[in-house]
Amino acid sequence: MTTMTRGGFASAASSLEFNTGGWRLARPEHRGRHAPCETSCPAGENPRAYLGAAADGDLRAAWEKLVEANPLPAITGRVCHHPCETGCNRGQYDEPIAIHSIERFLGDRAIEAGWDYPVGAPGGDAPAAAIVGAGPAGLSAAYHLLKRGIKPVLFDAQPAAGGLLRSALPPYRLPRTILDREIERVIAAGIDFRPDKRIGRDISIEELRADYRAVFLAPGAERPRRWSADGAEPARMRYGLDLLKSWTSVGDLPVKGKIAIVGGGNTAIDLARVLKFAGATEVHVITFQALPGAAAVPDAMSAVAREIRQAVEEGVIIHDHRGIRRLIMRGEKLEAVEMVHMREMDDSGRGRRLVAFEGTETILKADEVIPAIGQEVNSAGFESVIGRGPFFHADRFGRLADHAGIFAGGDACGAAGTVSGAIGDGRRAARAIEAYLRGTAPPEQAVIEPIAYRHLNLSYFDHAPRAAAPILSASERSAGNEIESSISQAGVHAEAERCFSCGECMACDNCWTLCPDNSVLKLAGAPPGRDRYVFDYEHCKGCGICAHECPAGFIMMIDEN
Amino acid sequence: MEPKREGISVAALHHQQPAFRGLDAGHMACPGCGQALGARLVTEAIGPDAIIANATGCLEVFTSMWPRSSWRVPWIHSLFENAPAVASGIEAALKAQGRQTKVVVMGGDGGTFDIGLQSLSGMLERNHNVLYVCFDNEAYMNTGVQRSSSTPHAAMTTTSPRGETRMGKRHLKKDLLAIIGAHRIPYAATATVAYPSDLRAKVRRGIEIEGAAFLLVHSPCPLGWGHDGADSIEVARLAVQTGFFPIVEMERGVVAGVMKIREVRPVADYLRLQDRFQHLFEDSREAREELQHLQELADHNIEVYGLRADEPHPRDSEGADTVRRGGMRWS
Amino acid sequence: MLEAIEGSAAVARAVALCRPQVIAAYPITPQTHIVENLARFIADGALRCELVSVESEFSAASVVLGAAASGSRAYTASSAQGILLMTEVLYNIAGLRIPLVLTCANRAVGAPVSAWNDQQDSMAMRDAGWIQLYCADNQEAIDTTIQAYRIAERTELPVMVCMDGFTLTHTLEPLEIPAQEQVDAFLPPYRFERALDPMHPRSIGTVVPPEYYTEARYAHHRALLRAQDEIVAADADFEAAFGRRCGGLVSVDGPSDARIAILSIGSVIGTLLDARDEYPELGPVKLIKLRSMRPFPADALQKACAGLSDLIVLERALSPGGIGIVSAEVRAALSEMQSPPRVHGFAAGLGGRDMPLELYPHLIAAAKARPPVRFSIVDVDPSKVAEEDR
Repeated sequence: MTTMTRGGFASAASSLEFNTGGWRLARPEHRGRHAPCETSCPAGENPRAYLGAAADGDLRAAWEKLVEANPLPAITGRVCHHPCETGCNRGQYDEPIAIHSIERFLGDRAIEAGWDYPVGAPGGDAPAAAIVGAGPAGLSAAYHLLKRGIKPVLFDAQPAAGGLLRSALPPYRLPRTILDREIERVIAAGIDFRPDKRIGRDISIEELRADYRAVFLAPGAERPRRWSADGAEPARMRYGLDLLKSWTSVGDLPVKGKIAIVGGGNTAIDLARVLKFAGATEVHVITFQALPGAAAVPDAMSAVAREIRQAVEEGVIIHDHRGIRRLIMRGEKLEAVEMVHMREMDDSGRGRRLVAFEGTETILKADEVIPAIGQEVNSAGFESVIGRGPFFHADRFGRLADHAGIFAGGDACGAAGTVSGAIGDGRRAARAIEAYLRGTAPPEQAVIEPIAYRHLNLSYFDHAPRAAAPILSASERSAGNEIESSISQAGVHAEAERCFSCGECMACDNCWTLCPDNSVLKLAGAPPGRDRYVFDYEHCKGCGICAHECPAGFIMMIDEN
Repeated sequence: MEPKREGISVAALHHQQPAFRGLDAGHMACPGCGQALGARLVTEAIGPDAIIANATGCLEVFTSMWPRSSWRVPWIHSLFENAPAVASGIEAALKAQGRQTKVVVMGGDGGTFDIGLQSLSGMLERNHNVLYVCFDNEAYMNTGVQRSSSTPHAAMTTTSPRGETRMGKRHLKKDLLAIIGAHRIPYAATATVAYPSDLRAKVRRGIEIEGAAFLLVHSPCPLGWGHDGADSIEVARLAVQTGFFPIVEMERGVVAGVMKIREVRPVADYLRLQDRFQHLFEDSREAREELQHLQELADHNIEVYGLRADEPHPRDSEGADTVRRGGMRWS
Repeated sequence: MLEAIEGSAAVARAVALCRPQVIAAYPITPQTHIVENLARFIADGALRCELVSVESEFSAASVVLGAAASGSRAYTASSAQGILLMTEVLYNIAGLRIPLVLTCANRAVGAPVSAWNDQQDSMAMRDAGWIQLYCADNQEAIDTTIQAYRIAERTELPVMVCMDGFTLTHTLEPLEIPAQEQVDAFLPPYRFERALDPMHPRSIGTVVPPEYYTEARYAHHRALLRAQDEIVAADADFEAAFGRRCGGLVSVDGPSDARIAILSIGSVIGTLLDARDEYPELGPVKLIKLRSMRPFPADALQKACAGLSDLIVLERALSPGGIGIVSAEVRAALSEMQSPPRVHGFAAGLGGRDMPLELYPHLIAAAKARPPVRFSIVDVDPSKVAEEDR
């Protein structure tokens, strides 16, 4: 029995024995949610995670988190169209985080420092898988198989790995040294690379299937898609990707006069810039897509926005929302093209269709028209598995219906045709291949909604300018020199600190600081992140301040009962 | 419920927090109580070597239901109107004993603006080395939400109801800071639970100063103001960002600094979240006029204290609550 | 060594000898000379003490509350309206069981305004939970002040030392002022177990729910009752050390065979002693000095009243609409006796009215009344009262 104290005094902090948790109608819980940078990354990176590590000053940990998904960050940091930045919630506040700059910095730092990829050597009795095509999809698949303890054997028709990265990407975007060193490092991590092996010429699909229980096909899309204007085409038509490849290997291109390029993708823009550097008088890019703007444009050109911006700076003229209706020829020679307003529109539920708007025709003088509207798979050697083509019909995990053990990914599947998309294909296919080889449950696709901007508490952030990577001015640029350079380490740190950490604890201490009931407790030794805080449900009254004031939207109130 | 973490005892953690907390859990404040938060933040800034004299009010009642107490610092409650005098006596005793322990008074607006004003004035005039902290929730909440001289104009309370002939409180909020300033004490300031760093810095300053210091802390009351407990910080923040509750510092009675408002919000944003102002959104001439009246009062604050920011500053109304990854902001 | 000194100055000397660390007071007649003297000692450096000159008696009481709660010996003094303004704090100090000494320079309570002496002020605080000791003369005021600190600190109860305003406070007479070493030996340094201390952080002044409030009040009540032993012991020890005593709880003076007694409190005892000498023809009369009003010494009083036929209670306060405050309590206490004396209740000397020697025969005569006088204001002049108010 408690006895009355003299004058009614009480001992310090004795109220801890009194559990106010019973008052609660709703309880706070840590509920991590996906950030839009993550859900929009085709490669499957979680930028929030490596930005966090970078902000904590641990660059190696940041790189390791990065290469959990993408083994080629030095490359993608340069060439990716970074939809992560388009999705970045911070873009609605001031400017998105310069994720690509940090990705690139981490990739470069790993190369310089020689950090080992966090993979181990597969055991002697580990299963093996064959990968066809050493472009980004194949390299990614091989790397992720390796991570999963499967021996990857990587075949390519060319003497060196890289695929289109090597054959078509101009060095002003991707210096050869970076390309070589990063790919070398990935292969050295434990990939059995077999160059100069073309399917259908040096080895057949059937032989592969006999040797390997699982085969991943990522041969790319090498053959330009045919193009004509109302059925007409010039006698000697050159295709964009071919021109780019020959310029990349030879280093020069015979060009003169005014050029009209058809297409809105990276090939169109890369080629336009190469031609401009090579001395074309005028280079026009004609596309039914839209110029990218500050806000996300639904039908924006698929080329990287900054490349488009730089191309315009260099004098490339872009005609967006236009198509070519007619070629105006004088005999064999092209005189001009007839452009018309053109958009891709909804075809009442049956996909999309191009619509040209009559009465909007204009004439553009041109000496040559070059189509760059995409490529198809060269199906030679793949006839038994590609079906009707021109692409492999794979699901999200690369699985081909009716061909158990065969997987495909990258440009050969006809998707967006991006490097990061190809890396994502390889990563997901590796999961499916492992499941197939080990007989475990196949992966299933989950629909993941990222946390919305309105679920963040923006009061706790202040405006800060985005880190700007140094860029050569238009007059300083040439085809052989990288245009954009790295940001500084201090810049990386500052930029990483701009991250809102959408949907994940940033260890800002807000919940701990603002709880009126001391019911958010801090673990002093824990690293920055969700493990640092514990809810004391014995005392938490469920007021909801922690959830309301969490800047990152990491705490949710869950109804009791 | 979240899974229990291995090897972590929540009970033990209360005794292992990295910052000293003079007010611990198990108190009986309403969920979302601004004063409970404010009091704890103040104790964090003063540290363990302090004695608190607490005036009668919510804080006193909800922290000291015998046989339990939520305080980790020596604490005394005597009466409603004498806390400053009790603190004066404590300070005199400590001085006589040659001890350096800090003395802090905590009281509500009823105990400070009204019934204890004389005692407070005496303490300030004698310039005792005491920090007085008033948690201003703008009415007598402990007794069931009656108007005080701190209640804002037009706010509804149980003794200033909205009726056929009244639009809530007829009178204006007492300008207590001017009264405090007139004592020409070394330091006086306002703060709010919405800006903990600012609050703590002011507590530390008030404690360091030799002589009397006064701090008025705007502390939302979900019950008395009629807002969701989860919105307590939001409401307090809007009070600042609208100019309704100016954040200022005084040295010897002269305004020495203010928290500038970077983006001035209309007072309606602040009022709308609270039931005590809901009648101002009725469709009537009186409601429109009183709503505008409150806007004019906020504008007046902005004008006389020069609250509008010319350019962004890290300690203005937008910058002062910026958090950093890793919690450095609050440490 | 005897020293001719005013009562207030003497009390100030006594307080200073007790080495208080904090003094807080607000001026009110007739208390002012005490605090003025103390302020002078402090200003002269003769007393090392924090003097807090507050803005009201309410704060004076609050300051000493805080100081004593922090472990310092503290002192305050007041009178009349000042005591009443302190009311809330005085109850609080007692309920918190904080040891303190307060001098009440007794004065009438307005309205109408009177700056002069009666005991209505301290009587109004009878239920505040304090020990109340009344001084019959200024030597007792000195000695009781010193004893009061010992009693307070041993019982953890506050002590109010009551001395009649002007009659004692402003009267000059030869008095024995004890030596510092003697007082130091009698009154060891103060150590308050429950002091506010960051090393032992207690919460003082909590909310006590109905399940325990009764027990808190009971404990306080018992503490006051038990304090009777401390009061007696303090007086006995004081006598052993200083050779003087103040009469413990209650003391009797006069022939043991006297059947009539007059009980009074405060300085009127001196007048009655003189009057008895002046009127020996009125027969043997005992004079009973009630020193401790709280705790009320019912047992000691019964013993003192054994064998009496009539007890006259003379007091300087009343409970309007009731009877005399002291006489009511005396009646209640004596009613348990086998053969209690008849108790006659009188008030006199209100608001500073003289208590002349001639009052004595009047009282003795009045005690012949049958039935006994329930209550009478003995020195009222009905001719000065309006017709309708008589």
